[in-house]
Order: sequence, then C-alpha cells, then structure tokens
Amino acid sequence: MKSFHLKILTLAAFLSLACTTKVSEWVLLNTVPGQYTLVYFHGTQLSEAIMKQNASISDNIKPANIEFRSVERKDIKEPYFGLYYGNRFFARYNNPGELSTLTTSPLRKKIASEIMSGKLCVLLYLTTGNETKDENGRHVIQNALSESPFRDVITVVELKRSDPGEAHFVSMLLNVEDDLQSIAGPMLFGIFGRFKALEPLLGKGISEENISLMIDFLTADCSCLIKDNLPGTDILFTNNWDNPATAMVNSILDENPSLQHF
Amino acid sequence: MVQDTSAYDTIAERPLPKWLTDQRDGLNTYQPVRMEMKEDRSLNVSFAITGAIILIVIAFLTVHLLRKKKKNTT
Repeated sequence: MKSFHLKILTLAAFLSLACTTKVSEWVLLNTVPGQYTLVYFHGTQLSEAIMKQNASISDNIKPANIEFRSVERKDIKEPYFGLYYGNRFFARYNNPGELSTLTTSPLRKKIASEIMSGKLCVLLYLTTGNETKDENGRHVIQNALSESPFRDVITVVELKRSDPGEAHFVSMLLNVEDDLQSIAGPMLFGIFGRFKALEPLLGKGISEENISLMIDFLTADCSCLIKDNLPGTDILFTNNWDNPATAMVNSILDENPSLQHF
Repeated sequence: MVQDTSAYDTIAERPLPKWLTDQRDGLNTYQPVRMEMKEDRSLNVSFAITGAIILIVIAFLTVHLLRKKKKNTT
C-alpha cells in the first residue's frame, strides 16, 4: 500500500511540474514536429534511373520531418515533385536539383543550434530589401527587446526574402499562412520548440506591444489550452532534438518571481 | 492547425494572429467559472414533498386502522 501512495505522490509531483513548464520549453521537449510529404507525381511507369534517383532523394531527406511518396496519375504529362505540409500544398519542383537544400540550410542550422542551447526563441525578421520599410521594423524590434527582461535569451536573425541560399526556408515561412506570399512588407516570425514558426507579425503589427505579447506567450506556463491547440507551422529541418540545454528562461524567472505569469 | 487568415481589404485591416489576440485577451489560460445567481426553489420543493409524504402516511394509516377496526368488530 505504501508503494501505491508513493506512486500517486510521484505522479502528482510530475503533473504539477508539467503545468509550470514554460510554453517554449514544453514544446521543445514534448512535441513531435508536423510531418511534410514530398510527392513525386508521374504519368507513366517509372524507369530504373528515376527509381534510383527517387530512392536517393528519399534517403537524403529521411532524417528530417518528411516522407517521400510516388503517385501515378494518367493526366500528368511532365513529372514533378510537390511538397505538402499535412494536406496543405507548399511548393512545386520540376527538377530534382531544386531539392538539394530542401531539408537543411545554414540559417536553419543556426536557429536550431540557438534553440538547442537553451534560448527562449529566435525572432526571425524577414526583410524585403526596401531599406526604409525594413529599418522601421528593425528599430521597433530593437526597442522592444532592449526593454524586455528576456532580451538575453532571445536571438534575432534577419533573412532577406530574396536570399537564394535560403529559398526553401523563405518559401516555408511564406506558407505559414496562405496569404503571406502576396504581402510585400517585412514580417517577424517567432521560432521556438522543434522549429515551430508562429503566424508572423507584419505591417503595423510589428509593434513593441505585440512583440512583448509574443514573449509573454512563450514564457507563460504551458496550459492545456495551448497544448491542445498549438499555433504555428513546423519548418522542415534535419535535426536531432534530443537533450537540449536547460531553458535559460527558467533562471531569469527564478531570480525575478514577479515576471511569472500564467 | 487551421490557419487564421480571413478576408481583409488592406494590410492595416489584416487581423492579428489568433495566438496573439488570445494571449492579449487572456484566453490561453483557463477562465474562472463565472458564478451566477439562480432562483432557489429547493425550500418550496422540500415543503411540497414533505407535505405529500405526510398526507400519504396519514391516508395509509387511516385505511389501515379502519380495516383493523372493522375486522375486530366482525
């Protein structure tokens, strides 16, 4: 009977701990990234060479949150690859050469390493190349962070929308919501957990108040309401998410209990 | 997750992301149950049930005693 009580006590302690874990940390430790599917659409039977090529692509992308499938449809004249996130169509590639950096890129590696080092999140500022527009948002972000007690655990990175080396990453970010590709202004994405990108702030939405709310969202206790309906889109990336460093936000909150919020 | 985007005319009118408005409005945490006063009829119900039980018992005892008395006289 004593061991039964001990089990109950341990379970209660575990549950109470789980409820005080911050959103960013909980998502990094517990969620599985959403799965992408790369589909090879073709109209005729696959030749030996194509099967070999597809097997090689499938092997290359295997470590990422993606699976490879082939679909034969009579109405397809030219074969192509389609990238899907769940049932959302993200991109079309006519040439297998376009897939070479699909699952990884230098900036994605940098962001993942920041998250794994215990940072709260990475704020990714997607710029347009129009210096006036970009500078306004940059100024707001700097001001918001300079006043935040969490500034040391947040990394800001910039990405130009036209960066050819990050084209896949930009494409995925612009697919987080279905109208983003048609919006020309700069955008601010909060990236946390296992590369989850929140729906971005853009236009006048890039304000100090909203950046502060984004930080509040990530530093709040992870309620079941958030767990059951996590916002954002997981970005395609090859990474081992096991054993991240301890979340730095916890030491800030321990030293300043007044910053705790729910 | 279902995307948040809805129709809008200009970028200034584009709605803010749902996670942001929920955070702003405090909807990411459980809201305390709102207490509302309701009409209390329990006392009336209690009186009615008690009265009904008393009447039933009196009726039962009356019938029982009358039958017993009748039996004894015969």
